[in-house]
Amino acid sequence: MNILRSTITAISTSVEVKDMIESAGANLPNLFNFCSFGVLWRERSILYLFQEESCPPTFTQEVVKNMVKVFSILGEEPIEIEQIALQVEKRKLRPNPFMMDPQATLKSHLTLPLSVEEEIIGCISINSDQPNAFDAQKLQFFSVIGYQMAASLRHLQRLSTVKKEAIYDTLTGLVNRRYCEERLSAETQKAFTGGSNLSVIMVDIDHFKKVNDTFGHAGGDQVLREIASLLKNSVRRQDDTVARYGGEEFVFVLPGAPLEAASTIAERIRQSIENNPFNIGQTQIHLTISLGISNFPTHPAKSKEELVKIADLALYEAKRGGRNRVCIFNSTLGRNG
Amino acid sequence: MVRGVKESKEGKFSSDLIFDLYANLMTEIWGIVSELIGEAILGVLYTSALRKTGEKYTFLKSLKVSEEGISLDEVRRDCRNMAPGEIHRGFQSLINHLSHLFSALTENVINKELLPKVLPRVREAERMISQR
Repeated sequence: MNILRSTITAISTSVEVKDMIESAGANLPNLFNFCSFGVLWRERSILYLFQEESCPPTFTQEVVKNMVKVFSILGEEPIEIEQIALQVEKRKLRPNPFMMDPQATLKSHLTLPLSVEEEIIGCISINSDQPNAFDAQKLQFFSVIGYQMAASLRHLQRLSTVKKEAIYDTLTGLVNRRYCEERLSAETQKAFTGGSNLSVIMVDIDHFKKVNDTFGHAGGDQVLREIASLLKNSVRRQDDTVARYGGEEFVFVLPGAPLEAASTIAERIRQSIENNPFNIGQTQIHLTISLGISNFPTHPAKSKEELVKIADLALYEAKRGGRNRVCIFNSTLGRNG
Repeated sequence: MVRGVKESKEGKFSSDLIFDLYANLMTEIWGIVSELIGEAILGVLYTSALRKTGEKYTFLKSLKVSEEGISLDEVRRDCRNMAPGEIHRGFQSLINHLSHLFSALTENVINKELLPKVLPRVREAERMISQR
């Protein structure tokens, strides 16, 4: 009973799904004699398998096939093996030297649905190459583990949704202003202390009010989504951040990017929007954007706010200069295109 | 009165007797299996089995499943004029489906505990129907 209790504690205190499965998999050999432990998680279409290191591939295939079959029976809608991403962890599950027969087949299993609030979110399975490896008491233990895993999985799912909502803008799918400012804080700190480059590009859609006035907010939202997608595809480095800063305003944070590189990126973005026709219903429209750039150390900003303000001033200059252009802040002249 | 439904000596409809038998059986199944896999998982399996078998035997859709067990109150009230044979076949189909689910999940672990207690009761229901 103590072993079961510690297994449950390990599952319920995990903060990541993978950790939870690892914890369960690491504790289960104290309760059961098994060759393979699987968790099929519907939402992510992932099947995690925690297996004896000598488990032959044929055995793995049988386990996968069986879990998918059982889940299809439970969910009442068939799922295909090809739809499932398999993640296999091989471990030594038995203390004594043990080698599975390379021809071993699946002889017995316990599979239970992972259900929360009457919804089946996946299933767990424990599998053996021995016939009748599990009895009623093992099933009782396994069902307690299944119940706890389902509850923890749902908790982690909700946590992940809350995290996503805190980071992403729901309309465009870009990161939101709050997250962008967090990134900017971290990146300015790095740049200021290490002396590395950091560029910020502020972007504003020209005459966006006209789009809203002509096509309504639904049309405006469609344009925002399309532009966001184009902006997102215009940077490829993992460290680069593109955020919706508010309304029709976007911001790029480009760590390590010198002013020239930021300028090239900004010009490429400007052209890609200018050359992209937007279809709203039956109407095709063309839009342009204005962009303002700031860069550390070219512009001696002392804070992230100052770096953003400088980019914003450059953006203002781009608007004042006739829109559809890229401006770099020039401290000697005040503002310069 | 619907054809095939008779009143017994005790004044009960024969359908009532079948419902009595299956109400007890359902409670017994719930008790045995919930001991093994817990009420929450069992509730999900019952719901799934009722959805499936309710396609053919629509009266089964009125069975209420919760973590406390399965309730036949509503179906008993609504279907007391139903032919006992139909009620029997509906419940038999439900039990078969549950047994199939238990087998798919745990091979013979649940059914080994369950079937020795369930099968004699189903046969008893069959006897009652044939004596009608």
